[in-house]
Amino acid sequence: MNVEYINPFIASTINALSVMAAVNPVLGKPYLREDNTIRSDISGSIGIAGEVVGSVALNFPESLAMKITGNMLDDVVNEVNDYVRDTVGEIANMVAGGAKKTLLEKGFHLQIALPIVISGHNLNTMYPRDFPCVVVPFTIDGENFFLEIALDFPAK
Amino acid sequence: MKIIVIDDSMTTRRIIKNTLNQLGFEDIVEAENGLDALTKMDGIQLILTDWNMPEMDGLTFVKTVKSSVAYKNIPIIMITTEAGKDDIIEAIKSGVSNYIVKPFTKAILEEKVKAIISN
Repeated sequence: MNVEYINPFIASTINALSVMAAVNPVLGKPYLREDNTIRSDISGSIGIAGEVVGSVALNFPESLAMKITGNMLDDVVNEVNDYVRDTVGEIANMVAGGAKKTLLEKGFHLQIALPIVISGHNLNTMYPRDFPCVVVPFTIDGENFFLEIALDFPAK
Repeated sequence: MKIIVIDDSMTTRRIIKNTLNQLGFEDIVEAENGLDALTKMDGIQLILTDWNMPEMDGLTFVKTVKSSVAYKNIPIIMITTEAGKDDIIEAIKSGVSNYIVKPFTKAILEEKVKAIISN
């Protein structure tokens, strides 16, 4: 996958979290996912259709998802409740929406679906075998979260 | 002033509601989508709505409101991730008074609400 197509999602992730939750995500080194070792507690994913097909997911540990939610609500959040799950979905929505605008400017027309959120412990996301998935690790205050971009771009 | 906040995200509704409270607005109604909102329009004087929602999306809701004799003069602020130039033009043509792209700061929300109120 061309880095030109990955960067809008990275920029959009940093923008959404810094503006809405006043946190500073530090970007790690993106890599092509080759195994199923990534685990998370709350995953928010957005399906993408149109000229670009696939999905984008944000995978958080529950402590970080609670911190982000608390910051957004100006409140203390001590449990994974409906607000926390909703927040992860809404942030995923903003990430996809922001990237959509940038990709439109590059000539890619796409539609984004409503977010789907799954919560539990040690969740593992799976993608079709032949679908490339780029993992972008981030850190906020020493805690890791992962942006997963599994998209098929047409040749331009 | 009675205000309705329409968004399928409960977190976003609460952020908007908190900001409106801080501006001194206390009479705030919440709705999860356009269809839900149409049942709660009695006495509403300002609408803040998302675009992408289940049941009835924000743009369909805006067009429905603007075709209603009773509600067509209520100002509408759209708050959405749809940030394309064509999207904004379509929303404005449909009757949206002001437009906020997510992610948004409380300062932007305050500014847009105050602008609507002053008009």
